[in-house]
Amino acid sequence: MTGILKYGVRKTLVWNDIRRSRMLAVATMIFMAVSAMFMALTVLLGISLLHSINTLMEQARTPDFLQMHTGDLDEKSLQEFADDHAQIRNWQVSRLLNLENAAIMLGNYSLADNTQDNGLCVQGQNFDYLLDLEGMMPEVRPGEVYVPVCYRAMYQLKKGDLMQAGSREFMIAGFIRDAQMNSMMASSKRFLIHPKDYETVREQGQEEYLIEFLLEEGTKSSEFGTAYTESGLPANGPMITKPLIRMMNALSDGTMIAVIFLVSMVILLISLLCIQFILRLQLEKERQETGMLRALGFRKKRIRQLYFTKYILLSVCGATTGFLLACLLCGPLTRQMQELYGAPRFSWKLGILSFLAAFAVETILLLSVLHTLKKSEGLTILEALFPGQVQKKRDTRRQYLLISFVTTACMFLVFVPKNLHSTLSSSEFVTHMGIGNAEIRMDVRENQDWDTEADQNGEMTELDETTVPRIAAALAADPKVERYVVLQTKTGRVELPNGTLCDLKVETGDHTVFPVSYQAGRPPELETELAVSVLCAEEFDVTIGDTLTLQNEDRAFACTVCGIYSDITNGGKTAKGAFGLWEERPAAWSVLYVTLKEDGQKENVYKAEALEGNTRKAATSERKQWMQAYQRLGAEVTEVETYVQETYGQTLKEIRLAADVAGSTAIFIIFVVAALFMRLLVEQNRYDISLQKALGFSTGSIRRVYMKKGILFIAMGIAAGIVTGNLLGEKLCGRVLQSFGAGNFRFVVQWEQALLFYPSVVLLTAGIAVWIGIAEIERVRAFECCIGKT
Amino acid sequence: MEDLLRVEALCREPILDRVSFTMNSGEMVAIMGPSGSGKSTLLYQVAGMDQPTSGRVYLAGQEITGISEEKRAEIRLHRMGFVFQQMNMMGKLNILDNILLPAAEANRVLHNRSKLELRKEAESLMQKLSVLELKERSITEVSGGQLQRACICRSMINRPEILLADEPTGALNKSAAAEVMDTFVKLNQEGTTILLVTHDSKVAGRCGRILYLLDGRICGELLLQRPGAGTQKRREETVNQWLEMMGW
Repeated sequence: MTGILKYGVRKTLVWNDIRRSRMLAVATMIFMAVSAMFMALTVLLGISLLHSINTLMEQARTPDFLQMHTGDLDEKSLQEFADDHAQIRNWQVSRLLNLENAAIMLGNYSLADNTQDNGLCVQGQNFDYLLDLEGMMPEVRPGEVYVPVCYRAMYQLKKGDLMQAGSREFMIAGFIRDAQMNSMMASSKRFLIHPKDYETVREQGQEEYLIEFLLEEGTKSSEFGTAYTESGLPANGPMITKPLIRMMNALSDGTMIAVIFLVSMVILLISLLCIQFILRLQLEKERQETGMLRALGFRKKRIRQLYFTKYILLSVCGATTGFLLACLLCGPLTRQMQELYGAPRFSWKLGILSFLAAFAVETILLLSVLHTLKKSEGLTILEALFPGQVQKKRDTRRQYLLISFVTTACMFLVFVPKNLHSTLSSSEFVTHMGIGNAEIRMDVRENQDWDTEADQNGEMTELDETTVPRIAAALAADPKVERYVVLQTKTGRVELPNGTLCDLKVETGDHTVFPVSYQAGRPPELETELAVSVLCAEEFDVTIGDTLTLQNEDRAFACTVCGIYSDITNGGKTAKGAFGLWEERPAAWSVLYVTLKEDGQKENVYKAEALEGNTRKAATSERKQWMQAYQRLGAEVTEVETYVQETYGQTLKEIRLAADVAGSTAIFIIFVVAALFMRLLVEQNRYDISLQKALGFSTGSIRRVYMKKGILFIAMGIAAGIVTGNLLGEKLCGRVLQSFGAGNFRFVVQWEQALLFYPSVVLLTAGIAVWIGIAEIERVRAFECCIGKT
Repeated sequence: MEDLLRVEALCREPILDRVSFTMNSGEMVAIMGPSGSGKSTLLYQVAGMDQPTSGRVYLAGQEITGISEEKRAEIRLHRMGFVFQQMNMMGKLNILDNILLPAAEANRVLHNRSKLELRKEAESLMQKLSVLELKERSITEVSGGQLQRACICRSMINRPEILLADEPTGALNKSAAAEVMDTFVKLNQEGTTILLVTHDSKVAGRCGRILYLLDGRICGELLLQRPGAGTQKRREETVNQWLEMMGW
């Protein structure tokens, strides 16, 4: 039985078509598979991350509202508050014993350089549990410690290693996941020990209270927070809500997922264009055949079906391949997520959802195929049977432009994640974190060395009158210090233009010494001026020149908004005022920022990058000694660069991974597109090439023309890619980061990579692809034009 | 004999101008005329591949102008056969599958013939037109004459009421053209109605009637003996004399 009779018209034509144009079918399937892979991957990673975080938060029974507090604590007033508020389901006070980082050793590593606040704690009584890697509450025995899981890889720890905490030694019995403080963006880390051990080490650190509440469903944590503050309960420390914990957890891995989503969108666009182009080429090539089918009596709808069936088949293969590839890639990409939040459960539901995402991508691609097919039906039978030459010329032009456009889009994919990575890892990025570009940060704790008595009104305690001036005086006299500034954070209430009252933390001092990144305006210089963060300005609905009224106990005074700055830390809602603002109010905490002189420590340390061996070590240890000296004066001293690296290290690692995946995919796509479309171009112009050969042109000279044209359009694409990747990408990332509080976001571009390295790699790859694509010119024979094989 | 094809005042601006003629069942008619006279355009209007500006075409009493494109496609598939000058066939299929293509498509809707019947029908046609041994070959592996004969097999596979051919020998050499015309004559003698367009007097000379088209109008008609009758030389001489008279 013949093919058509055995398998039917549709199956035979589709199968023969795939067999005859294998290259086009494979290329179409690659585009479909890669698009499906990235979308399925976005869904797999996104849902896994949310699911893992939610599961961990559920298992750990994370509090809905948490107030950190240092100083004395009156549990009776808390009990009264809890009795008065029906929305409180449960409450507890957990204790966290903050230790000096220098006093902690994990295995062979000292935590002296660690920028996190590390502390010991016991298991939560009713909720806020610290869980082991199996998701269970570990049974801690005396002498044992459970270490935050984020330190396992960082310090290469394993069970049985020793931890030194002050004078006590503990054996690491396992690792814990802390739903609250897992992310490196959370500034504290909790180590779990036995209650008996806690009592023995209590004197070696400073105790901090975590006043935690579980609220009834539907309670707004922001309203509850206002009620808590208004009750005058202990509030000497940050206030944290469950959504903020979830956001902090999601942000580090979420950034990688956002990058992958961006990649999937760009790849979908590339695939749409390329598949449409391939189809248009095929339709053009088979124009006479379709005309003939219509002349024989085939309906338009039937011919559309014949073509569409092939694309359905390819999309099924593409979706399946893409989905399987996504499953394969999901493992390595979720490694860090698994470590922090537990292995995501790959349920059949998640499988179906990600497959549906792949399917949705295929549907979009198929709809575009259908649209192109329908558009092609506009030709009459006669127009289809007798094609003109104009179309061919137009297609050739479009083909070169498409190669150019795909190169631009791929360069965009290479640049945006790379630039995002280099920006986040640059020293300038601190200016988006509400911090000036200083080298060293000194935190002075409110209750350290000084009076810890809370006043009768439950107000903040008075800041020590000697510690900050003592450090400031030392810095002023220090010949190694180039400049420094003292900034004090004061809390109070502010009246918005619409009359409502809000809590506000204002950092006061001279903000011109280490200015942050201002989206608009300038730092406050007068006592009647106030700069607010981007998110604060959005929430308060104020802009430059508007007035905010600050409340004091007995009077109110107006401040003009003089600047709007970037701050993506701590929820991003902060303000900055000049020295003397709210003078009569006590400071909640103080921070000193320092930059060292060029000829002092800084130079040594910076030069140390290029030095080797003992010289380098000496420079580093000199700076350490300098920092330790100030630590002894009562400040917690950290290097800003290390602080940023540690806070965003986890995110950076993942963005780097996403950038590598995006970059290699982009280069692969450039290779496929350049090789494929140049090959198609040769096929389209086969008759012309044959004619040129018949007229005496050499193969080499014809190849050179195609090579030159191909490379020229790719180079144009690269140039456009450099511009769009660096400008449009900056705008795109700026938009996303603006929602987190970064105002005037600017890419920190590594120009030698942007202008030299990546363009060279892409040009080389594309050059090889073009060379492979036009290799067919060799096989075109001079007599082909004479026998009409066009 | 009754009218199988009736063309009434057919216009296709700016090429055809009120063309009218009829064809009886079993006739073999050639349309001749200089280049640009509208021969092929007329054929495409008759086949329903193009919509005339005005006028009507009837096939066995059924009007095929003024109906939907889908319906016209259906008529072409089931009731007409068409042979192209350029021997259009699908490169994706071998010769036999190309011949069976319209039959399989028609049978998909009608289910009136078994697969075995279809195959026998195709092979019998191929046998008759001496191309059976080429059935498994690709379209690039046969000569022009053989390919055109295969195209005729394809046009005949659905047992059409009328066979339309546009310059069927235009792309062939002398002997291949003669082979193809022998085939047409043979089919006509077996009862197939054939309307063909040609500019070759030898081809026209093998038909029973010739219509002369000039500037979109039929301006002459020549009746010949029925196809196959008389000597070919004599027929050609008659046609050439007439064409000279028409200003060819």
